[in-house]
This record gives sequence, structure tokens and C-alpha cells, in this order.
Amino acid sequence: MANRPVKFRILELCNSGKWNYEIVEQIQKEYPDLKGNFHRDSINFDIIELASGGMLEDVEAKVDEEGIYKKGFLLHKYVLTDFGRIRASDACLMYV
Amino acid sequence: MDLQSLKKQEHQRRIKYGFMWAFFCAVLWGLWYLPGTAVWVLNPFDQMYGEVAASNGDGVALVIVAVLITAFNAATVILALGVWNGVLGKFGEMKRTLKEFHPCSKWFFLASIFGGPMAILGSFIAMGFVGGAFAAVAALMYPVVGAVLASKWYGEKVTKRAFIGIIVIILGGITIFGGGVLSEIGSGNVLWIGYLGGLMAATGWGIEGAIAGKGLDIAEPDVGLTLRFIGEGVIWWIIAIPLLAIIGFPMIKYALLAFEPLTMLVLVFAGITFGFCYVAWYKSFPLIGVGRGQGIGNLYGLFAVIFIFLFFGDVPSWTILVGGFLCLAGSTIMFSEDTGEMESLRGD
Repeated sequence: MANRPVKFRILELCNSGKWNYEIVEQIQKEYPDLKGNFHRDSINFDIIELASGGMLEDVEAKVDEEGIYKKGFLLHKYVLTDFGRIRASDACLMYV
Repeated sequence: MDLQSLKKQEHQRRIKYGFMWAFFCAVLWGLWYLPGTAVWVLNPFDQMYGEVAASNGDGVALVIVAVLITAFNAATVILALGVWNGVLGKFGEMKRTLKEFHPCSKWFFLASIFGGPMAILGSFIAMGFVGGAFAAVAALMYPVVGAVLASKWYGEKVTKRAFIGIIVIILGGITIFGGGVLSEIGSGNVLWIGYLGGLMAATGWGIEGAIAGKGLDIAEPDVGLTLRFIGEGVIWWIIAIPLLAIIGFPMIKYALLAFEPLTMLVLVFAGITFGFCYVAWYKSFPLIGVGRGQGIGNLYGLFAVIFIFLFFGDVPSWTILVGGFLCLAGSTIMFSEDTGEMESLRGD
């Protein structure tokens, strides 16, 4: 799967709704060149950009008490918006 | 702290980053005017200007030299961005993005046509046939084009407040360069091609931003930007320069002469400032939108005048105070907007 741009894959993963740490973990598993903390943060930043562009919607949030991702920070659950679906369908999502 | 206020804080942080990037863009863009101005008096460009002017006149000489300078500028920008992406470990992502020509990278190549040959060349044409102040003012109009396009084309939210901010910053820019424009236009017969150049600059950068915004939806800014400059490099080095050389301009001869230490140093400095001004520009778009990013980016006019004063000692006229105040007011109008309006940048 690791042959398409990261943001394409993020949109794909969010089709059914996912937490940001799950997305980051999944991407880091799939893309061998994106290991380490720097890339972890930059993948998370990609998610934030997608959300601010209106393609992902933040449907749930909780404080990261146990430090699953970053202790004390917010965790977000994202789902693809209608606009995101349209944008994704001409880029990457074949099945919507 | 409860969830709601944490969310709000996180959101405000995003907006702050966006404005910070746009502000960096303005500072670096202003700084770029130092090497951008200095390079003209260095050889081989100075010599080239003389040779072309002798046979084709000053206006044509300016445009032809501008093509070569812009081509070198694009080349050094690609170099700077190559180092940047290398350090960030983004070559893998670049390859992946490049391959997605239809949905993604085509937008960046299109952006390079509008930002490169159209805006930069237009700006030099305006400079050559009307004057520097006119070119600067014309270019300041680009955020209006960018904001209107982004909102009409893909529904970017441009709030009334953001739009007022953009307009006030533009008025500030006009005040800074205004006197110069009047004397340039009043100085007699200006060729229509000069005004066309101004129009090219205003629309070119605006269209570039809107198109880039479209591509940036689904791409990394650092990577998208590098592709945009590779596109521009191809346009200048593979299309424009060989074409002009065939027509008979001494492009190749002077391109080979450019490898002098001082000229190269100035060109590299231009590449670094221009490259990172663009990095900051493209990074701000997904965070605060094309309209706001370009509006704040427009502060470059003020910074350019200040840096040129500091480094070259060209004392600006008193109107810079009024203009600078307007720029400040316009930015404050934008910075102080309630960030709740910017939860998502898209929508009605």
C-alpha cells in the first residue's frame, strides 16, 4: 500500500472513522521511510491539514491520559466529510 | 483543563502557526529583494543587458536578462529545496506524489506556469516598461485574485473580516509605492505592454495560489512546492532559454559566464530566501487559507523597503510611515479575528 502519497492513504483510512494515533501508527507501519518521532509528528500534521481543509471532520476527542500518543494532549477521531469523499474519489478512493 | 478549552487551544495554535508561516514568507520575500536587486548590476547580467540593449532597446533587454536571472533563481531554489527535503527525509514522499500526476502533481506544474513565466516575467515587464514602483503595486493586487478564485472555485471561506484585512494591506502597499507610480505613469508615453505585465503579475500569483491550494488539499506542502519549482525550472531551462537562444539572443554564452564566485553567492542567497519564502507561503495555505496566507504575505512590500533601506541606504519617502501603518492595521484586523470562524476553511 505504501506507494501512494501519505495524504491519499490517510483519507482512505478515515473512510470509516479512525483515531489520529491509529492513523499515524498504521502509516508508519506501511511506509518504511517514515519511521521515528519526526515523521510521527509530520504525519499527524498532515491529518491536521486535511481537517482544516474540510476533508476530515473531527467527530470525537479525548485527553490522552495514558500517553498513547502524547500525554496531556488531545486525541482526535476523524471521519471523511462529504467534501473529502468527493476530493478523495477523484484522487484515490476507488470504492466510494 | 476540560476538553472544550483544550480543543480551542489546539485550534488557536493551528491558526497561530498559519499566520506565523505567512509572516515568515513576507519577511523572506522582502529579504529576497536584496539579492534580487543586486544581481542586476553583477556580471555577466550587467554586460548581457548592455549587449542586448544595444541591438534591441532597453525594454527588450530587461525582459531577456530577466529570463536568465529568473532561470538561475529557479535553479538555486530547487537546490535549496532539495537540501530542505533531504534533511526532512521527504524524497520518498516526493516520488509518490510525482507519480500521481492526474489527481495531484499536475496542479503544481500548472501553478508553476502561472507563478513563473506569467507572474515573475510579468513583473519584470512592468518594471522594464513602466517602472519598479508600478510593478510592485501591481503585484500587491494578487491576494484579491487569489482569495476570489479560491472562494469561487472550491468554496474556501473568506470572511468579510479577512477580506477587509487584505484590502487594507493592499492600500498600505499602494501608499508605500504610490508617489513613484504617479511619476512613472505621468512621465509620458508608457507602452501598453508594461500594463499588460502588471496585469500578468497580479493575476499570475493569485492564480498560482488558488491552483496550489487545490493540489495542497491532498499533498505535502514541502513536496508540492518542490514539484512546482521543478516545473518552473523545466519551463525556463528546457523551453524558454533554448527558444530565445535559437531566435538569436546570447543566452547560452552568458549562462556559462554566470559561474563567478560573487554572482553565484548572490544567486544562492536569492535561492535560499526565495525558496524558503515559498516554503512558508505554501505551509500557511492549508492552515489559514489561500486568502489570508496571501494577504499577510503581501507585507513583503513593507519589508522590502525596510531591508533595502537598511542594506543599501535608500531612504524611503515619508509615505512609508502611512503605508506601514495601514499594513500593520490590516494584519491586526486579520490576526485578531475570532478563530472560531476558522474551524474549517471550507464551507459557505
